Amino acid sequence: MSIEARERRQGAALVAPALIWVLIFFIIPFAGMALMSLAHLDGREVVQSFDLSNFAKIFTDPSLRKGIWVSLQITALVTAISVLLAWPLAWIIATRVPARWQRLALLIAVLPFWTSYVVRSYSWALVLGENGVIMKTLTGIGLLAEPVQIMATRAATVTGFVHFFTMLLTLTIYSNLIQLSPNYARAAQDLGASRLQVIRLVILPLTLPGIMTGAFLTFVLCIGDYITPQILGGNNELTLPQLIMLQLGRRGDYPMASALSLVLMAIVTLAYAATSRWLRMDRL
Amino acid sequence: MRVLAWAYLLAMFGFILLPVVVLIVFSFQDSRLPVPPFDGPTLRWYAEIIADRALMEALMNSLLVALISSAVALVLGFLAASGLARVLLPGSALIRGVLIAPMTVSYLIIALGLLQMFNAVGLRPSLVATGIGHVVINLPLCFAIIYASMGEHQKNAMRAARDLGAAEWQVLWHVSAPMLLPSLAAAFFLAFTFSWDEFIIAFLLTRFDVTLPVEIWSMLRSGLSPATNAVGSIVFLVSVAIVLVLELTLFRRRGA
Amino acid sequence: MTADVSLQGIEHRFAGFTALHRVDLKIAAGEFVVLLGPSGCGKTTLLSIIGGFLTPSEGQVLIGARDMTQVPPKDRPTTTMFQDYALFPHMSLRDNVGFGLRMRGAGRAVRNDKADAMLEMVGLAAQAGRRPHELSGGQRQRVALARALAVEPDVLLLDEPLGALDLKLRRQMQDELKAIQRRVGTAFVHVTHDQEEAMAIADRIVVMNQGRVEQAGSPEDVYLRPATLFSAGFMGEMNRIPATPDGDGVTTPLGHLPLPPQRGTLCLRPENVGLRGDLRLGPARMIEASFFGAHHRCHFAPLAAPDMILTANLPQGAVPERGAEVQLFATDPVILSETAQ
Repeated sequence: MSIEARERRQGAALVAPALIWVLIFFIIPFAGMALMSLAHLDGREVVQSFDLSNFAKIFTDPSLRKGIWVSLQITALVTAISVLLAWPLAWIIATRVPARWQRLALLIAVLPFWTSYVVRSYSWALVLGENGVIMKTLTGIGLLAEPVQIMATRAATVTGFVHFFTMLLTLTIYSNLIQLSPNYARAAQDLGASRLQVIRLVILPLTLPGIMTGAFLTFVLCIGDYITPQILGGNNELTLPQLIMLQLGRRGDYPMASALSLVLMAIVTLAYAATSRWLRMDRL
Repeated sequence: MRVLAWAYLLAMFGFILLPVVVLIVFSFQDSRLPVPPFDGPTLRWYAEIIADRALMEALMNSLLVALISSAVALVLGFLAASGLARVLLPGSALIRGVLIAPMTVSYLIIALGLLQMFNAVGLRPSLVATGIGHVVINLPLCFAIIYASMGEHQKNAMRAARDLGAAEWQVLWHVSAPMLLPSLAAAFFLAFTFSWDEFIIAFLLTRFDVTLPVEIWSMLRSGLSPATNAVGSIVFLVSVAIVLVLELTLFRRRGA
Repeated sequence: MTADVSLQGIEHRFAGFTALHRVDLKIAAGEFVVLLGPSGCGKTTLLSIIGGFLTPSEGQVLIGARDMTQVPPKDRPTTTMFQDYALFPHMSLRDNVGFGLRMRGAGRAVRNDKADAMLEMVGLAAQAGRRPHELSGGQRQRVALARALAVEPDVLLLDEPLGALDLKLRRQMQDELKAIQRRVGTAFVHVTHDQEEAMAIADRIVVMNQGRVEQAGSPEDVYLRPATLFSAGFMGEMNRIPATPDGDGVTTPLGHLPLPPQRGTLCLRPENVGLRGDLRLGPARMIEASFFGAHHRCHFAPLAAPDMILTANLPQGAVPERGAEVQLFATDPVILSETAQ
């Protein structure tokens, strides 16, 4: 055996365990799910068939179709608001906070990451509830005569999501900003740009990779999340993950759950294709 | 401009910290509901949760699953990264793609796929099933972090070790692992956090023995309670303590 | 368009550290000045103060007789060519070069014409539509130059712009920089730590060390008639021989030499030591020689002081045998006192 062949064999032996793990516990289940999406439910029994009736139903059944639409709306709204809130925050930390305090400021800006995800949504339920801090304060000082219902509405879901993803985007945009040479801003100023022009024409375009990376992560995690809409949004309007869980729980309808999952994956893939030219996952 | 910047910073910090502050403050609430008005401090909810056997078991389960699954993910990821860095295998790019793939898929979908497969082969939901799922989500993470930190420098050192007569395992143990220690630690720490905090896979793949997030979820079903605040506060404070320790020891050295 | 620059009593302190000690410097309109010194000598700080990126703790910056000390960079008649070029990666070369005119409200047609003309000047007209990352290091450097000159500044500031280039390209860019400076007539203030680069391009070299100006003068002046030991050592290799006054000459380890009586260090460049000259150094033994192409670099041990090694660059083919005894001579001797720092 040649030296190169032996080297390749040793390399392959090192890669093999991970590859086998992914194959057995990711690829095969995924293939199983694809197969399952073509099956249908007969009573409570899953019967394997090979037709696209589940997919047809997703796009004709009003409640399922609405679920996709609701998920897309919420995700788009959350992504947009989070970017708008996070960019100035990241910029202020990167350029206005003295260098020695930046790490601390960043630590504070992402502190709630370290509570558990379920608990974070629960905390927002405490804050936004009818008897929560916000309503008690607003009615207390007389700004509101009665509490307004926020919990179990889309506003609560969006608030909970925006809270989490603003932190995430602040991280990606900040790490993009501090990698920029300070000379970009200096060169623009030197050539006569005003402070706003420096930001709009130079810094903002240069942070596009950070924005897009964060926005993509936001989009993917947001549209696939079950906890936040379930705890904060309730059952008034269901998102795609809530619908998937509903299929599983109530009827054991694995074929429909699988079909909905594939639709969810297709949406994520489209989002990836749309943003891939800006993504820099390795730079995080 | 300057005033506006600081005002914005403070407002955003307020928004970001608000739920955490409310969570912690009302964990000391001396009444049955964790909402205003604040009825004076008490530690009774902390006493209650520490006495709660199911909760403490869930906590131990979570620790166990997180430790073992992160360790497995770390070892698999490290070996794969070393192998791919070592030689140009046919289809290297494809292998990298396959190893990274689970990162791009929602946890819910991974959980559903595993649930269906385990059902098909007759494997019952359990902590082991959950651990397997957590390795699937953390393996790509560990692989990506370690692979990204393997520069020419590491590859040359590995080559030199082989040249000096080290066997493959000796190269990995004596050269690669020590050189990559910061990234190995970072990868393990991240994987641990993700597993520790993961809900949906654990929710679908456990039944009787559950992990902490699943146990907290079932506490939520009985409505708002300062006991939930107390659990949340403990998780938060322990995590922050760990982050601070890491920040002051491991990552300070790297940063400096 | 060009203007003179006058720096008066510039002092600059960072937290607990004085980067510049009362620097006075005049730069004439249209002059090519090089600020030369080791890293940390304050040359880049001084450049930033001229460009308006730093406000000096004390002192005044006058450009064209107007006080610019407090004026921000965008309102100064200066532009800077940055060390990392700072080309905007999301803009084409044309848009990069036209950026300054855009900020001054010029229409697209006007600034594109100007940008194309500037790119033409630096030989990149054909690539005007490309992005910076498609270019080589030397090409980026030219674009940065074109961008800085497109707004027709009175003074162009260059912050070690050639540092990232390899030696051959650096030599070529030095020639180009000098030619372009002659053509546009703008005053150039160029920062470098490379004394060969400084001599190759400067009308006047300003040698700096530890926040002070050591010497300012033409390349010949600074090289042949260094004012301080630092300046002498920084400009090139040198034999240093201690000297003390003695009657009408000086005493050195080599013996009595007929030089103006002065306490200090006798400095001799290797190419000024040889087998001929007006100053007789006495007999020495050849120890080692190596061939450098243009000359032989030889080490001699003077018989009067066998522990001392004198380095001499001898012309091709004029090398004594190893171990041979020869009479050494020198030209252009300079004695510098330690206190002249």
